[in-house]
Amino acid sequence: MKHVQIYDKPMCCSTGVCGPQVDPVLPRFAADLDWLKSQGHQVERFNLAQQPDAFIANPDVHQLLATQGTDCLPLVVVDGAIVSRKGYPSREMLTMWAGPAGAATATLPVVKPSGGCCGGAACG
Amino acid sequence: MEFVEHATRNLFFTGKGGVGKTSLACATAVRLADAGQRVLLVSTDPASNLDEVLGVQLGYRPSPIPAVPGLSAMNLDPAASAAEYRERMVGPYRGLLPAAAVASMEEQFSGSCTLEIAAFDEFSRLLGDASATSEFDHVIFDTAPTGHTLRLLTLPSAWSGFMETNTTGTSCLGPLAGLQAQQKLYQSTVEALANAEVTTLILVTRPEAAALREAARTSGELAGLGVRNQHLVVNGVFQATDVADPLAVAMQARGEQALVELPEALRELPVTQIPLTSAGFVGIESLRNLGNLTDLPAPPPVAAEEAPAVSVGLGSLLEDLTAAGHGVILAMGKGGVGKTTVAAAIAVALAERGLRVHLSTTDPAAHLSGAMAGEELPTLTVSRIDPQVETARYSAEVLATAGAGLDDSGRALLQEDLRSPCTEEIAVFRAFAEAVDEGRDHFVVLDTAPTGHTILLLDAALAYHREVTRQSSQMPDAVAQLLPRLRDPEFTKVLLVTLPEATPVHEAAQLQQDLRRAQIEPWAWVINQSLTPLTVTDPVLQSRRQHERTYLDEVTGSLSSRTVLLPWHATPPTGLEGLRSLVAG
Repeated sequence: MKHVQIYDKPMCCSTGVCGPQVDPVLPRFAADLDWLKSQGHQVERFNLAQQPDAFIANPDVHQLLATQGTDCLPLVVVDGAIVSRKGYPSREMLTMWAGPAGAATATLPVVKPSGGCCGGAACG
Repeated sequence: MEFVEHATRNLFFTGKGGVGKTSLACATAVRLADAGQRVLLVSTDPASNLDEVLGVQLGYRPSPIPAVPGLSAMNLDPAASAAEYRERMVGPYRGLLPAAAVASMEEQFSGSCTLEIAAFDEFSRLLGDASATSEFDHVIFDTAPTGHTLRLLTLPSAWSGFMETNTTGTSCLGPLAGLQAQQKLYQSTVEALANAEVTTLILVTRPEAAALREAARTSGELAGLGVRNQHLVVNGVFQATDVADPLAVAMQARGEQALVELPEALRELPVTQIPLTSAGFVGIESLRNLGNLTDLPAPPPVAAEEAPAVSVGLGSLLEDLTAAGHGVILAMGKGGVGKTTVAAAIAVALAERGLRVHLSTTDPAAHLSGAMAGEELPTLTVSRIDPQVETARYSAEVLATAGAGLDDSGRALLQEDLRSPCTEEIAVFRAFAEAVDEGRDHFVVLDTAPTGHTILLLDAALAYHREVTRQSSQMPDAVAQLLPRLRDPEFTKVLLVTLPEATPVHEAAQLQQDLRRAQIEPWAWVINQSLTPLTVTDPVLQSRRQHERTYLDEVTGSLSSRTVLLPWHATPPTGLEGLRSLVAG
């Protein structure tokens, strides 16, 4: 089981239905996380407007926020390591990082906090 | 007045705009305070008039009224509550989080959703948390016009229900997430409303069919929510003193007729009648007289004075309204001033010139079909922005687009979020933007909800406009273009409708200020139901006619550069014939 944490921008709802137009990426990602949970992984989701404490509690997240501002959000953290920034990864990426439930995962395409892009379809 | 003599702890005054809720709530508060009770008077109307009626500057915390020992009053100010709520949420993180992060949090808490939630939260506290008002014996609520009040009163059920059944936790609670701890409070608010020992609902109405119909509707809806301790007050019952004055006789007959046809839903309720006075109730002394009115001497006859030079009838506006060939005409103002009638009269006049016109309303309590009396014109379409219909339509659209590629559990998740109370706000706002969008190829005449609601709509327009300029993608064109269109004097013409009385004029003046802040310049003022162009001999009516003068002068002198006057009608101007008479004057 992996511990997956998402640090979102300040937002009203995780599916974006409260905005003037729903970004289809948001409900898709919410569904992906739900699926990930159903695979037995532990999933936590924080948004800056509603759970700011979580952003302070994680030193890496706090550090990134201080140097790059809110542009780095959303961040995806798997077992304490930041694996993606600035976008919502696909279900395939989540599977790669988290692997099948209970199984040990192979090498992860982890991005270093100072590194470039998230290395997946989520950039852009 | 049973509801004063054996007053419950909470007293709610509700009803259509312009029926005298504020005056009656104030008079009741003064009465109870004079009898030695400690009273808190609260206005929940975003466009509150408490200050004017009490003659003091009020804040959003109880302030004592010096002239009435025992009485305190406050306005439930959504903007101030929202600012306070925002600070409560964001303040602790200043210094702990980078400035940019704090700024983006603040921005998130600036939407109209937060505004409504903050006002609602404050309202729940006053009603549901006894310790918040423990220093008072009575809490009197002067509420916004019906549509908004119904929403306020149904929210405790809606939101406590939503939070109970919401299973995903991180789902769309929006700014509500910060209030989740208060669920108990919402529950006790619902209980307080339903407890007849604790809460009385006073339905205020005029002796007019439309106001009585609305009172009946409100009565039914609130009874459905469990609010059953209801009382009816008919305000402004007119008795002609001069039977040779045909207008006075017609006015009395019109009131009597309406009361004879009292809707079924109201027949069982205890009733209090309040006579029509020669002037409005403004100031503490006149409030003390309310209820003792039958003892007042008849006002002395007033010498006829020359009417000010203002054009009578909507006719003089039509030429300029027609010129552009298309566009949006918005009727705005306080509740009960006749926005619906004015909007319908203009729509009919344009349609009778062969122009294509769509008449619509954003007011949940408006009755366009009543104004049209079921009559039709070939180039005129009539519709209503129905919150339930719009919410269903918006939800279906979101599921079909953003929800298209989702699996079953993903769709279920999205559906759950769409049940959030915020969805209705978005849906109505989008429908409004779409209605304005239609003005590109024909005329759209929109009857808006009373001022408070209109302000919320404009706030949403401003908030989304900021979002548009920040991130151009994903925004429907109608929403992106809304504010620029409302600001374009060629595209949108705002008519401020008022009555020649203190509160409606001052509320319209305030609205004009708000519009100007949003860079929208009102196009013309319409002073409705004026006795000035008419001949009256009845002393009460003469005195009211005289009383109008101050407000006509105020509008034409300092508020408006383009004004028309519509005369009071003995029979309500409905149907094509009646609406035409408003154009002719």
